[in-house]
Amino acid sequence: MDLLQPTRQAFALLFGGDPELWQIIWLSLWVSVGAIALVAAPSIALGFLLAKKRFPGQRAAVVLVQALLSFPTVVIGLVIYLLLSRRGPLGSFELLFTPWAIMVGYMLIAFPILVVFTISAVQGADPRVYETARCLGAGRFAASLTTLREVRFGILAAVVNGFGRAISEVGCAIMVGGNIAGLTRNIPTAIALETTKGDFAQGIALGFVLMVVALGVNVLLALLQGQGGLR
Amino acid sequence: MSVPLLALRGVRKTFGPRLLFEIDRLSVEEGGAYVLVGPNGSGKTTLMRILAGLDRDAGGGMDFRGEPAAFTSYPERLRRSIVYVHQHPYLFHTSLRHNLEYGLKCRGLSSAERARRVDEAIAWAGLERRRTTPPGKLSGGEKQRAALARARALGPELLLLDEPTSNLDRDGRAQTLELLAQLRDERRTVIVACHDQEVIGLAGFARMRLDDGRIALQSG
Repeated sequence: MDLLQPTRQAFALLFGGDPELWQIIWLSLWVSVGAIALVAAPSIALGFLLAKKRFPGQRAAVVLVQALLSFPTVVIGLVIYLLLSRRGPLGSFELLFTPWAIMVGYMLIAFPILVVFTISAVQGADPRVYETARCLGAGRFAASLTTLREVRFGILAAVVNGFGRAISEVGCAIMVGGNIAGLTRNIPTAIALETTKGDFAQGIALGFVLMVVALGVNVLLALLQGQGGLR
Repeated sequence: MSVPLLALRGVRKTFGPRLLFEIDRLSVEEGGAYVLVGPNGSGKTTLMRILAGLDRDAGGGMDFRGEPAAFTSYPERLRRSIVYVHQHPYLFHTSLRHNLEYGLKCRGLSSAERARRVDEAIAWAGLERRRTTPPGKLSGGEKQRAALARARALGPELLLLDEPTSNLDRDGRAQTLELLAQLRDERRTVIVACHDQEVIGLAGFARMRLDDGRIALQSG
């Protein structure tokens, strides 16, 4: 197969400002960023509680969240589909086959990643952080926030991983978004579709964007962690 | 007779079936400087942590300025009065200045007052050149001095220092000893848990000896 020709076409599409291509890229970005922005705070808070508090069922809750990590995304898509379908309990909101349905799916997919990474970061924190904050007069909430700030690079890694998982997800996005051109077609679903149609140029262009985004986010994380390493 | 700053009543700490210590009565006078000595494992750090409210699993209680408090339900207000400094103090991953400011912010002080106290604390600890240095770049002695300055800046009624000279080199120990002597001269109420003979021998420090589950106040 000649890869040179479709690659040339891919870059022509990208840098030529192809509106269809850039609409797909824009949709992917805002849906993924929106999902992470909405789910990050509650997930981090839950991760902190599961790491620090002892209560009946805590271990079971941690195991459940860990199990969600390996949950197939198409099953998450199926559950959301059933909930949002016209005859489903949330059908009246008419969210199925809209970007909002994909965002809900991304939130559920990123949720266990954010929680588990936060648990790991907080459990790895020096116990003197919380104690020092309390000894200096911080209340429980302020001392908890201080602990999170001290493990901020671990939390940032959680957010980056959650975002990476969301923006590259296919199964759930197709099921609840329907891969509708101009409405719910995003980068991974477009790559899957165009490749099956034999149109490699758009697939390569979108794959390139996806890799640039992944690389950019991870380089940013590494730079921030590097600054942290200088402390 | 004046009310002591701190009076311990029936403090009892066990680890499973093993009794670590049982202190019937002990008074700490305001403005007094004390060293808490005793063999390894006698419970010096544990006692300090109980007094600071970090270990609530202890029997008995204390009167602080005559007000009774049980260790199992340590009052939040005492966290503003009693400040504990760990044996290996933790400095937050930010600048020295922000570390010194942390507790002052918790107390709701104005930014002008915070700045004044931070400047004074930095000068007291001799860390003027380290003002913007990240804590990871400070030496062991500088970290210890920073932690002492951070605690002192809060103006606590009782300062609990756990082995402040352990793991320090000769210069670091000498500088820390100097700060301990200054705390004594400033008539701050301070209890220093230690093994260090130089600290134990500091003039003006009364000696509390914790051994075999009992505590005794010895001559100053």
